[in-house]
Amino acid sequence: MASAFELTRNMTIGQYIPTDSAVHRFDPRFKLVAFGVLVLAIAFCNTYVGNLFALAFCLALFPLIRIPVGYGVSGIKPAVPFIIIIALLQFFFSGSIAPGGTLHFEYGVIRITGDSIRLVIVSAMRFVEVIFLSSVLTFSTSTTDLTRGMECLLSPLEKVKFPVHAFALVLTIAIRFVPTFAMEMEKLMKAQASRGAEFGSGEWWRIIRRTKDMFPLIIPLFNLALTRAEDLILAMESRGYVPGEERSVYTRYRSKGADWGLLGISLALAAVILWLP
Amino acid sequence: MREPFLTIRNLSHTYMKGTPLEHVALREVSLEAGRGECLAIIGHTGSGKSTLIQHLNGLLLPQSGEVTVDGLHLSGPKPDVKALRRKVGLVFQNPEDQIFEKLVGDDVAYGPFKMGYPLQEVRERVRWAMELVGISFDEYKDRPTFALSGGQKRKVALAGVLALKPDLLVLDEPTAGLDPYSRNELLNRIRELNRKEKMTVLFVTHNMEEVATLADRVCVMAEGRVAAEGTPREIFGDTRLLAEHQLGPPEAVEILHALHRRGHPVNPGAYLTEEAAGEILSLIRERE
Repeated sequence: MASAFELTRNMTIGQYIPTDSAVHRFDPRFKLVAFGVLVLAIAFCNTYVGNLFALAFCLALFPLIRIPVGYGVSGIKPAVPFIIIIALLQFFFSGSIAPGGTLHFEYGVIRITGDSIRLVIVSAMRFVEVIFLSSVLTFSTSTTDLTRGMECLLSPLEKVKFPVHAFALVLTIAIRFVPTFAMEMEKLMKAQASRGAEFGSGEWWRIIRRTKDMFPLIIPLFNLALTRAEDLILAMESRGYVPGEERSVYTRYRSKGADWGLLGISLALAAVILWLP
Repeated sequence: MREPFLTIRNLSHTYMKGTPLEHVALREVSLEAGRGECLAIIGHTGSGKSTLIQHLNGLLLPQSGEVTVDGLHLSGPKPDVKALRRKVGLVFQNPEDQIFEKLVGDDVAYGPFKMGYPLQEVRERVRWAMELVGISFDEYKDRPTFALSGGQKRKVALAGVLALKPDLLVLDEPTAGLDPYSRNELLNRIRELNRKEKMTVLFVTHNMEEVATLADRVCVMAEGRVAAEGTPREIFGDTRLLAEHQLGPPEAVEILHALHRRGHPVNPGAYLTEEAAGEILSLIRERE
């Protein structure tokens, strides 16, 4: 039986699962670039065939990183409401009409055209594909590797005085504390529920009451976050961290032939996705 | 035979069932506690203690097995979780984190208000709870919560749960991180709740001195199972068990065990400091 309080345990997206597959061992910089290439290709692909191909390919990635397909697919669950809302909006209001397109229905601002139907289906597919791709990336790459890879990729920007290291650090800390705060939140929800609190039980239109119901969670959570931030500052400074100082790194990435292969494959796939009719 | 106050039967729980991150926390745990008893649960981190106590007020529902508190069953399709939470007060680790109101009195009153009691009743309950934990109602009810010391904050948080007047009080490491003075003070309050108010108390701890001074019965958990159960006398008297689960017994017990090993006629089951002192004293007298 599922519990109402399990915030952290049911999120599949963003979770690193060390199954030590071939994909896990790729250089994170290359994984990021390959990810970017594929996401771009998906973003520009507006054909059914192309998207079907991309979807099939994304699904095929799960066995490749040794994650059960069902578990990977369950990652779209939290996104389903968004997909539906976006699809509805596009369906009724996009109203764009290509030369020679068909107009099915028109009433005031509501226009349903052949193009908007296509747009709805294609964008829902894109959404799902991007979620699958991101899941595969985060399943197979630890957050440290992700942010380090990001830092390496962005390092050319240092020439134009962009604070790459600080940016990567902010990203690392933010990602690092998401599960921590989710756990704190879970504990607070349980603690307040033990004192008789009920969350999300009031009628949805009584917005003020429902907001007030959240105070017993939000206030202690802020408190904890600020305390933690102060502790973190102290911990970092006591271990010699000076902002803006030149820092050496423990691990260096060296690209192997396989990594270039990954890049080549992703470019080829992107080309296929874009050129399919 | 009368049904015991709290019954747990064959309770199992698995986190993230059916995913690659599956983790079994409880395996077929069975446990009972009579009304008015004080039961300690000890065991290492990850032995399932926290998972177990979250079942007691329905924060987690049994995946298999049964939990019954004072005739209320926590299984079946629609358990009455709300009624259960009135009966069972659960105090989490570091409960001072959950304080959110500006004033002490308001924070203690949160639970009773949520339960829908009228103002006068809430006031009575807040007064009762605060006095029970040793915080003067008149003096402290209008003090800002952020200005309290760590020990006082914890007492206020405890009062916040007590204000619901639970029959069963469950505490997860109630004294962790407190200074020795606050620790003793809090333990005395818990003992009073148990002895004078006849509240059934169940507490999780890592501190064996606390077990020795407070508990009527001890339950040792390991790897999601109940590894041993008995009175403190039985548990602390069993050297093999203590070694197997790496439980550091109270110092008094260790001294007695050491004497026993060297062939001195002492009773290693005498776990209270006073008793142990008596044993040693009689040993010294004998030699003279």
